[in-house]
Amino acid sequence: MKSKIKNIAVTVVFAVVIFGLSVSFILKPAGEFSVSERRALLQFPVVNIENIMSGKFMTDFESYTLDQFPLRDGFRTIKALFAANIFRHKDNNDIYVEEGIAAQIEYPLKNSSLENAAKKFNNIKDKYLNESNKIYLSLIPDKNYFLAPTSGRLSLDYKALVSRLCENMQGEEYIDIFELLNINDYYKTDTHWRQENLLDTAEKLLEEMGASADFDGLKENTLDVPFHGVYYGQSALPLDAEQIKYYTSDIIDSFEVYDYQNDKPMSVYDMEKAHGKDPYEMFLSGSISLITIDNPNAKTDKELVLFRDSFGSSIAPLLATGYSKVTVVDIRYVQSAILGRFINFENADVLFLYSTLVLNNSETLK
Amino acid sequence: MLFSSIPFLYFFLPCVLILYFAVPRCLKNTVLMLVSLFFYAWGEPKYVLLMAATIGIGYVTGLLIEKFKGKALSKVFLGLSVAVDLGFLAYFKYADFFIENFNAVTGLSLPLLRIALPIGISFYTFQIMSYSIDVYRGDVPAQKNPVNLAAYVTMFPQLIAGPIVRYADIEKQLKHRTHSFEKAAAGIRRFVIGLAKKILIANTLGELCDIFRESDEKAVLYYWLYAVAFALHIYFDFSGYSDMAIGLGKIFGFDFLENFNYPFVSSTVTEFWRRWHMSLGSWFRDYVYIPLGGNRVSKGRWFFNIFVVWLLTGFWHGAAWNFIIWGLFFAVLLVLEKLFLKNFLEKTKVIKRIYIALAVLISFVIFNATDMKEAFQYIGGMFGAGGIPFVSAEMLYYLKSYALVLVLSLIGSTPVIKNTALRLCNGEKTVKVINVLEPVVIAALLIVMTAYLVDGSFNPFLYFRF
Repeated sequence: MKSKIKNIAVTVVFAVVIFGLSVSFILKPAGEFSVSERRALLQFPVVNIENIMSGKFMTDFESYTLDQFPLRDGFRTIKALFAANIFRHKDNNDIYVEEGIAAQIEYPLKNSSLENAAKKFNNIKDKYLNESNKIYLSLIPDKNYFLAPTSGRLSLDYKALVSRLCENMQGEEYIDIFELLNINDYYKTDTHWRQENLLDTAEKLLEEMGASADFDGLKENTLDVPFHGVYYGQSALPLDAEQIKYYTSDIIDSFEVYDYQNDKPMSVYDMEKAHGKDPYEMFLSGSISLITIDNPNAKTDKELVLFRDSFGSSIAPLLATGYSKVTVVDIRYVQSAILGRFINFENADVLFLYSTLVLNNSETLK
Repeated sequence: MLFSSIPFLYFFLPCVLILYFAVPRCLKNTVLMLVSLFFYAWGEPKYVLLMAATIGIGYVTGLLIEKFKGKALSKVFLGLSVAVDLGFLAYFKYADFFIENFNAVTGLSLPLLRIALPIGISFYTFQIMSYSIDVYRGDVPAQKNPVNLAAYVTMFPQLIAGPIVRYADIEKQLKHRTHSFEKAAAGIRRFVIGLAKKILIANTLGELCDIFRESDEKAVLYYWLYAVAFALHIYFDFSGYSDMAIGLGKIFGFDFLENFNYPFVSSTVTEFWRRWHMSLGSWFRDYVYIPLGGNRVSKGRWFFNIFVVWLLTGFWHGAAWNFIIWGLFFAVLLVLEKLFLKNFLEKTKVIKRIYIALAVLISFVIFNATDMKEAFQYIGGMFGAGGIPFVSAEMLYYLKSYALVLVLSLIGSTPVIKNTALRLCNGEKTVKVINVLEPVVIAALLIVMTAYLVDGSFNPFLYFRF
């Protein structure tokens, strides 16, 4: 190719890319929702003198163009592949994929966050609990605990995390479940653990709390929709879809579940949410602040108050097999100061079950 | 509006190219001026009038300077033009700095003005000043056509981040310039290279610098990693922007002068500043240093001139003490080099390399510090002050994660890639391969850079604050 032709080719190629994508943007109808990122996409900003003079329109317009760019997910994948394979970055926006499993780097250990979490838990204890209550603490390691040491990623000092939290709390009994879990107990593309792999964990928790699991007649069900976890969208890398499995049994089917946040009865498994944007929300309908699970077939009259995060949603039904009633509380969505209005703590076992991710970012706890 | 943004690449630029190449030659400068005003207004709608006023005063005083050439009034109008430019700069950029320091010295508490800095004011006021001075000196005739002068000052490729294009350098091109596929292709090539330097290298190294600054696990080697990463970051950021400006200029038929010439291969600070931000260096040389007498004066006066120029160079970069110290740091090194250091360094290659590396790294640590306290803390950290560990797990992780980008940027900061490309272009067989590959590489780079832009919003441009 001669230089003259090359110059024409360079100019044409540049024009094709710039004008081609520009025209595609204009012709493409605006998207409303990003499935991979589970969020609404920005729409064309409001045009008025105030917004223009303050520069808000321009800022919003740039964000809008980023959200509505044609083939957006494809471009994000190109970036992720380039960062991982060409620049050899060990993570992309803190997300990495190791042997087909996506995880997020959680680092460093934030002592102030642990102190804050302990303070919140102690406040609950001081305000509502007395000698009639047995108090337990159990922590759920994030996926980094399993993947980071072998893949050379940064990870929390988990021993320090556990010991610092226990030091800052008073009067609780720590139940160690780290040894029962492994990386296969978590979804490959999501933060959360798999309910179908939690029987031994639930059994241990119940046993340590002096209760007995009732897993008779458990049936493993498979959700009929492909599951792309939260890291699928964040990593923007091509990862295979997974399946969500969940347990039913006569005892679980008999649970009477009530949603105090919306003041209505609900189901253990929310099939509407199973087919929604985040199928993991099928477990106790996702982020609901206060739920009670009554077990009419319980062989005990013991009650449990479970302070939990989203990991608790999938294990709560298994724990409920060992109690007559489980009150499931998420203090990220309800002020702990008002819990006394809704919960009778007298004689109840109390379990604080939290993932290390939430404890290391505990500013969300109320 | 940043060049490295989706609105610029896929909205502004296509519209401008269509408009510019659709209109007849006589209207091209008008189109350039109008789109440049729109470009400026996009980032600073409130300050378009300020820029228009500055240009208007520059235009009128330019005509008057020429009209009264050789008379005292000519000097008066030059003084007026320069005073207005410096006045605007002092008020909008430095007022709060002066008030803060006045309060600190006197114990008073005069309220700060808290004025938002108009984008690019340091660049366009220097351009208009150089125009007025050149007209006064008789180096260029005053521009009779206000559109041409406005097109020169507002020209969007160089408006907000330089290079500081002198009127004298493009005066003829404003009237007569050519457009060709050869020039357009050269411009596109340069623009895409600049965009890649900015998006792929500078922004990535910027991430590393941010990670370091937020870290609670500082270690000696981590400070050094930061110092290297920031020096490379600012080089790729600024030189990338200059490349984009030069490339865009070429597409529109202009030939802007180079602004960088591989400064990191320098062996002395004197050489470094002949290769770094050349348009600013030559501006201060021609309009401050030489009028002060340059080096054709006594030794004491010569060194005084150097200190004045570098004090102003530092202050030009920002209204804060760390910028002034940064400028004076170079002044001290330049004087030492002139006294004895240069001769001493000539004798040993290794020490020369260590000296320039240390000088540049420390200078940019001062440059990027939020204040002098932080600058001293960081420089101390580089030498183990504060009992910090030598290395940390976090530092090792990020060193591994960014190793390839660091190596690529180190290679890219030398002429190795350019020289290799030139060699290949001169080979009879290899040139054919290059000719085929070039359009493909340009398309691929555009796609990857678009992917980076779509993926993230991390895209600040450092020189906006100047």
